[in-house]
Amino acid sequence: MPVPARTTDAVAESVTCASGGYWVTRNGAHSRALFAVEGMRCAACARSVERALLALPGVRLASVNPATAHVTVEWTPADVGLPRLLAAIEQAGFHPVSLSGSGAEQAWQQEWRQALKRVGLAGLGMMQVMMYVFGVYVAPDGSIDPAIATYLRVTGMLITTPVLLYSGAPFLLGAVRNIRQRTLGMDLPVAIALCLAYGASVINTLRGTGQTYFDSVTMFIFFLGTGRLIERTVRQRSLALNEAIGRSMPALVTRRNAAGVSERVPVGSVVAGDRLVVARGAVIPVDAVLAEGSALVDESLVTGEARPVRRASGDLLPGGGLNVGDPIEITARRDVAHSTLASIIALLERAQADKPGVTTHAARLAGWLVGGTLALAAVTALVWLWIEPSRAMPAALAVLVVTCPCALSLATPVAVAAASTRLARRGLLVTRADALERLAGVDTVLLDKTGTLTAATASVDVLELTPPWTREEVLRIAAALERDSLHPIARAFAAHAAPACVASGCQERAGAGVAGVMGGETWRLGRRSYVSELSGGSGHGPDPDGVFLGNQSGIVALFQPAESLRPGAAAAVAGLRQAGLAVSIASGDQQPAVEQVAQGLGLAHAAARLQPADKTGLVRSLQRDGHRVLAVGDGINDAPVLALADVSCAMGQGSAIAQAAADLLLLNDRLDPIAEAVAVSRSMMRVVRRNLRWALFYNLAAVPLAALNLVPPWLAALGMSVSSLVVVLSARGLARSR
Amino acid sequence: MRILFIIIPVSVGLLGFAVWALFWAVDSGQFENLDEIGRRLPDDDAEPGP
Repeated sequence: MPVPARTTDAVAESVTCASGGYWVTRNGAHSRALFAVEGMRCAACARSVERALLALPGVRLASVNPATAHVTVEWTPADVGLPRLLAAIEQAGFHPVSLSGSGAEQAWQQEWRQALKRVGLAGLGMMQVMMYVFGVYVAPDGSIDPAIATYLRVTGMLITTPVLLYSGAPFLLGAVRNIRQRTLGMDLPVAIALCLAYGASVINTLRGTGQTYFDSVTMFIFFLGTGRLIERTVRQRSLALNEAIGRSMPALVTRRNAAGVSERVPVGSVVAGDRLVVARGAVIPVDAVLAEGSALVDESLVTGEARPVRRASGDLLPGGGLNVGDPIEITARRDVAHSTLASIIALLERAQADKPGVTTHAARLAGWLVGGTLALAAVTALVWLWIEPSRAMPAALAVLVVTCPCALSLATPVAVAAASTRLARRGLLVTRADALERLAGVDTVLLDKTGTLTAATASVDVLELTPPWTREEVLRIAAALERDSLHPIARAFAAHAAPACVASGCQERAGAGVAGVMGGETWRLGRRSYVSELSGGSGHGPDPDGVFLGNQSGIVALFQPAESLRPGAAAAVAGLRQAGLAVSIASGDQQPAVEQVAQGLGLAHAAARLQPADKTGLVRSLQRDGHRVLAVGDGINDAPVLALADVSCAMGQGSAIAQAAADLLLLNDRLDPIAEAVAVSRSMMRVVRRNLRWALFYNLAAVPLAALNLVPPWLAALGMSVSSLVVVLSARGLARSR
Repeated sequence: MRILFIIIPVSVGLLGFAVWALFWAVDSGQFENLDEIGRRLPDDDAEPGP
């Protein structure tokens, strides 16, 4: 069995620490942070936050996801500090919230309560105002006593004023923010409509003649407020998982010091070897080993496995697992920056920092739409003033309120967020925002065999042996050579490792094997041609099956690794073929081994004995023929192929997942989520297209109708709320598994 | 129509009461964890009686 290529790319050392509850990652000379922002309503708000941050010196990147309200900032610590960044966001009129700890939970609760009160007041006020003005509306001209009419109007004004100032505050403040930053947000037309209608009504009330629109003002606020409230709730639900991952990192942990006394310490100060106490319901903060007893751990955040897992003393516990059983004591194996959860958070940061192209276009379009609305409303008012002055106000109000750039700018991000959440629940992490978009267009799948279709080998057989070497000796030597290797086969040898037997100067050659010095002798392990090179033997002819071990005097032993199909491999292949994809195996392994696996899976196309360069060549030629390729590999050995493919999927394990440059990561050892990912990505694209079509159609149809005064203002407010709700609700179906 | 001069202030007072009641309910957490309460109900039977 050959040893496939390994990447030598040095992974940038990143240190994660919690500063004031904010997660800051250092990457060389730059710092990165991910946090949430409260008070964001739209794509335009996202742009304002980005602008406020980018205006500061030293900020290299600022990206806000309008669907999740998460912000990623990258800055040079020498020029600017995190407090300065947070202050800039406050100044722009938003409130930054840490994703870890209870701060986010509390802020969310507070905002929810305030939104409820605002909508409640608007609803009650609307009913009351409607009752007062109804009498004035239905009474034939002149039949109502002017004193009574004025009395009713003044009462309406009395109730509308608090509704406007309290319930309508988000719209008014949003518009002020828009004006200050010279951006066109969706709050601007709404606020203009509210102020116009309210101002005209107050003047007419004081004059005692003319139309009043107090009912329209309260109705706008109630309908738009309700729409936003529902939209936020739905969005929050479909994002619950991503939030949970971000929030699950505790800021403080309980450490037992040398004297056996418990102390609360920041999670960033935990180092390997520390003894930690994890309470029932608490998150395991770092990758650790269970110190004693047994534990019941919910690892769904890390692996997607829904049921809690029973762990025994000495078992490995991934950071990010939830202790659902009794309190446990664990021994940390890594510090927090190198633990599984930190890696997942780093990937999520990356996924949310890059936005799919469609989103940016939609956001820009939304800005134009708002500008167009304002211009059109002015034109509408002028034309109606000329034709029939009494209809100018209602028509202009309807135009101002009816357009909804929100539907347009939310169409893509909500669908991507919902689809990613659904897949994350199944143990498949989407690490790039546009990965699902690309996955939907894939027509060919290349599967690696070793470590991907087959599970990491658990055992090896010794097939041939040259006396006087014994079975135990050769296994020990092989284990020592493979000790630091990441290749799947290394695990099979690991069981035979002996502490006394250590190799020095170990080196790996991609696609060939490993070499090292032991007891003054140089050893090689891998392909026959590579191993026999050492003894100057003939490396001619095709390499036979198996892994060879040899030194300068010749080949000493031949191993045969035992392989088994990974769980879900058959289901994954069947699912992919059912989706109409051409599935084939591209392996570096020997023909018989590859054919056996291919037959087991019912695959006709299986290419064996491919060097890393052959695999990239295969991908290139497929792409030249117009195919779009999904490459599935184990992530570490297949990096060049994965990087070249249109979409890449890797098997993620432990802290190595942050290094994997793949678009999709399988967090548990199953393959079947891939097939589901293809299906989900296709239905996601359907939803995105439908959403964009609907949003465009709604806006194009509603504006002319409103301008012609065929849409009463109340219907315009209702239409606008419903249009963005439709977008959010249609994406919601994606988050549910069938 | 004199009655209007009494009825309308009364309705405004009622509105004020309704708003006060709503704000009180929201602030005391009546609208949170709506799902959890529903889930907790069936569990009551499982608890051993006195």
